[in-house]
Amino acid sequence: MSHCAATELTGDTYTRRFDKGPTGDTLIVNMGPQHPSTHGVLRVIIELDGEYILRAEPVLGYVHRMHEKMGEVKSFTQYLPNMGRVDYLHAMAWNWAYVGAVEKLGGVEVPERAEYLRVIATELGRISSHLVWWGAYLLDLGAFTPIMYAFDDREIILDLLQIITGSRLTYCYFRFGGVIADVTPAFVSGLTEFLARFKSRLPMYKDLVTDNAILRKRCEEIGVIDVDMARRYGATGPVLRGSGVAYDTRRAEPYGIYDRFDFEIPVFPEGDAMARYMVRMREMEESVKIIEQALAQMPGGEHLSAKAPKPAWKPGVGEAYFAVEGARGKIGVYVVSDGTKNPYRVKLRAPSYCNLSLFPELAQGVILADAVSIMGSLDLVIPEIDR
Amino acid sequence: MSAIFDDFPVPGKQVPGDFAKTGQSLSIFLAPAGIVAAARYMKDRQYFIEDVTGLDLAEGFCALYHFAHFEKPGRVTLRVLASRENPAIPSITGVYQGAEWHERETRDFFGIIFEGNPNDGPLLLADEDVAPPLLKDDAKRAVLQKAWPYEAMGVNPVPAAKPAPAAAKPATPATEVTK
Repeated sequence: MSHCAATELTGDTYTRRFDKGPTGDTLIVNMGPQHPSTHGVLRVIIELDGEYILRAEPVLGYVHRMHEKMGEVKSFTQYLPNMGRVDYLHAMAWNWAYVGAVEKLGGVEVPERAEYLRVIATELGRISSHLVWWGAYLLDLGAFTPIMYAFDDREIILDLLQIITGSRLTYCYFRFGGVIADVTPAFVSGLTEFLARFKSRLPMYKDLVTDNAILRKRCEEIGVIDVDMARRYGATGPVLRGSGVAYDTRRAEPYGIYDRFDFEIPVFPEGDAMARYMVRMREMEESVKIIEQALAQMPGGEHLSAKAPKPAWKPGVGEAYFAVEGARGKIGVYVVSDGTKNPYRVKLRAPSYCNLSLFPELAQGVILADAVSIMGSLDLVIPEIDR
Repeated sequence: MSAIFDDFPVPGKQVPGDFAKTGQSLSIFLAPAGIVAAARYMKDRQYFIEDVTGLDLAEGFCALYHFAHFEKPGRVTLRVLASRENPAIPSITGVYQGAEWHERETRDFFGIIFEGNPNDGPLLLADEDVAPPLLKDDAKRAVLQKAWPYEAMGVNPVPAAKPAPAAAKPATPATEVTK
């Protein structure tokens, strides 16, 4: 099942010549599960011919926790904290995906103000996730300093989210029918200050890093994904939008109140690692725009519906599939209920899982160092892949 | 959207759904033998694969294939029912390569065999004999999908003699065998 169009699109003359004449003298290398550039415990078995990759196969499951089984042995409410632990970088989006699916199933109403709080928290999460990706990706490519800047900004986001959620990483902020806490004056003033600061930081990131010639050499024309490949593997998020498709769940399957905000879906047509890089950098600007509008429009009222379900609530028989746009792509939660207090089935669709599944095809024929760049450009979060 | 496919290549019952309520705009119920042609049809219409997953029901194993489109709204779900005695479904990896991991995961979790999947190793579970973790006890298996047209899926309804899992629900009436 080789669809090795990638070799014609990527790499230099050496890469292209390589496919025609392998030496037969190959080496099997294990990258990971403790390799720094695999971002956690991902292992990739690679067959190398010199420096070129003949075959790559990811090995998963090192942090598999069987979240889907936990969903069946816990009640609907008890399962909420699990959602902060699937994707630790954009936990808010997973919060929303699960809560949204159950609300759909049980027909739960969400107050206006809570909708705005959800948007603000989720978009802050997106910025924070993209910042970690940005710092870590450049670390993969040998640039040490940017992650210091990224964490400097992210620290402020974590402080802000700590005010409203009480935690810094594994958020459990969403509830059926709203969110657990309202914003405080300190949060609002801190957020306004942060947005102003962050908008002045982004041009600096561009000047310092994005326009850097070494970065461009490591990213441009590396790991080209075309639209058909994205379809065959179900790639979504910045990986897809870096291939020229303006597909964003916030627009394609509108949920919450995203239809009220004026924001762009950044798209870059090149399909290479640089395009994915540019999509994420632009998305942070768009998230800032969304948060500003949400802050300005937010009405008063309650943050949690007075009719919000109690812990022992049963949503009734049925099924619901609900998708949101996470920092890595389309997060889907499919819930089936047989009318008891526990879900009958919870299926978690993790975007990184689908995005990584195209790596073996993408890595064929590329140089090992470029595989590191490709893997970083996919923005993988291993706990989300393994679930 | 929720329009029905007029030229769907394999026999199957198409049921439009309410996207706002269930997140599914169209469900297509198929016999296992039809899944590859159905997947090819979806691929030709430029649908992308969202995921493949399973359900352990009283009637057997149900595999669900979720598809969405980059330009059109909605979600199309292909539903295939395999019997518990022979839980085999043809693999669609020849059409959607991304299905390989989803099918392996579903095999790990339910024991459903996807015939033709190029990799027969476990994906998320350990490389040893582990009982599929998402199997239900006999008593807990739901006859949730009473409304599903089983005949179209090539699998028999639950025999009436079997006690209904949920006391409130009447047992599905026994009908003639539709092999």
